Amino acid sequence: MKRFFNNMKKYYKYAIRSAKAELKSEVADSYLNWLWWVIEPFCFMLIYTFVFGFVFPNNELYFASFVMVGQAAWDFFNRMITGSVKLIINNRDLVTKVYIPKYILLFSKSLTYLFKMFISLGLAFGLMLFQHVPLTWHILLLIPVLLVLYVISFGVGMILMHHGVTFNDLGNLTNIALRMVFYLSGIFYNIRTRLSGTLGFILLRANPIAFLMNEARKVCIYGQLPSFEGLAFWLAIGILLCSYGVHVIHKYENSYAKVI
Amino acid sequence: MTKYSTKKNTNKEIAVTVKDLHITYRGLKKTSIRASWKHLGDKVELFHALKGVSFEIEEGKILGIIGKNGSGKSTMLRAIAGIFSPDKGSIDLHGRSISLLSIGVGFNKKLTGRENIYLSGMLLGFSEEEIAKKEKEIIDFADIGDFIKKPVKTYSSGMYSKLAFAITAILETDIMLIDEVLSVGDVKFKEKSYNKMKELISDDTRTVIIVSHSLGTIKELCDEVLWLNDGVVKMIGKPEDVIPKYEEFMKQ
Repeated sequence: MKRFFNNMKKYYKYAIRSAKAELKSEVADSYLNWLWWVIEPFCFMLIYTFVFGFVFPNNELYFASFVMVGQAAWDFFNRMITGSVKLIINNRDLVTKVYIPKYILLFSKSLTYLFKMFISLGLAFGLMLFQHVPLTWHILLLIPVLLVLYVISFGVGMILMHHGVTFNDLGNLTNIALRMVFYLSGIFYNIRTRLSGTLGFILLRANPIAFLMNEARKVCIYGQLPSFEGLAFWLAIGILLCSYGVHVIHKYENSYAKVI
Repeated sequence: MTKYSTKKNTNKEIAVTVKDLHITYRGLKKTSIRASWKHLGDKVELFHALKGVSFEIEEGKILGIIGKNGSGKSTMLRAIAGIFSPDKGSIDLHGRSISLLSIGVGFNKKLTGRENIYLSGMLLGFSEEEIAKKEKEIIDFADIGDFIKKPVKTYSSGMYSKLAFAITAILETDIMLIDEVLSVGDVKFKEKSYNKMKELISDDTRTVIIVSHSLGTIKELCDEVLWLNDGVVKMIGKPEDVIPKYEEFMKQ
């Protein structure tokens, strides 16, 4: 772990610069430029709100904000997972020419995803104001919720990044898994009210994304305290995943260049 | 031909120590569900790229590595640069900084040349401040005019390699590893880059390892030559001793 922190200290500036560079290059040659970062999540929110608010009506309070908060958290997780699987192979040029601790690549990517998540959250707050959601101080507790989300995503990301190097089908498998988690996390429905039986009980406890999404909505929209035991539990799991990921990468990262 | 000669320094330090270096390509073998189904029970194929190579280089010396294709030259260079880890044996750089001279590492083609100087430089292990200090020198050396402010994707291939070369050549490290001596760009820049390369290589404190198929270059630049054959050291010594033997061997 000490090596991890030393490397982080040594390379975080590069990670930040490279993240900025990637964001810049993403908007470098599109007509609406950075506006896409706002338009895209907003339009997805409109679609979900239309389909699951009118086509399949529900009586969820402040439904648009409800969707937007969930979607912000989901998009971050989804991008981390999808992005990490092919990360090493996509950076082939770099990995075969120079030594860099491989989690720095993931860290740098995660910064661009964080940036996009904060845009989505900004939109969510705008929407909450628009819908007159009563704002309370509880919203500050979103920070620990997001922290746990980050730690878990980073841990899972590192492990997938490692296996993505040698295991070609991993991308297909994660796609299926992600689709499942997507529908079982309650982005556009409330697990607590829709699945009130044992299934809902299990989902909210066994699926960290469903749990964290639910906690994020509790603090943002309903002005409630999050479940601190739950957060502590998933933080511990996240840290375990991260330590395992770091360990595996330290052990194998020097062989990646031989394989890709 | 100008022959490079080191000043005789009695207490030369050792810059690189390679001891019993083994490198095997295996371990992480690519698999997919289908492939692992078909090859269930197959033996893992091993390829020994290097089989126990040992040598030392004194500070300031220039070592040339020769050998036929697939003899492990580039593998060894990458191992010394830290991109691979040895499967057995050790590489000791005695605390020196090292870089593998390679062109355009970490370039992002949609960004300007100037931004890419920083991206590439930081990947090579330099801090923002160090690069800022050398930025002007790099831009001057690359000599691509106003294009430095334009995205790299608008560059001609010559301009691209000029900038990339300038970055690696101006940001110097204690030990330089060179896979084929580069000369890039148009005739004028080719000469300039070759001369710069020679200047970098002949610096008295810089240790250099060159892999090349051009025996002329090796003869001209190197103090010592290491001949690799199928992953083992066939011969190591002065260029005038090793190269004739190598030429003879290759004719067979």
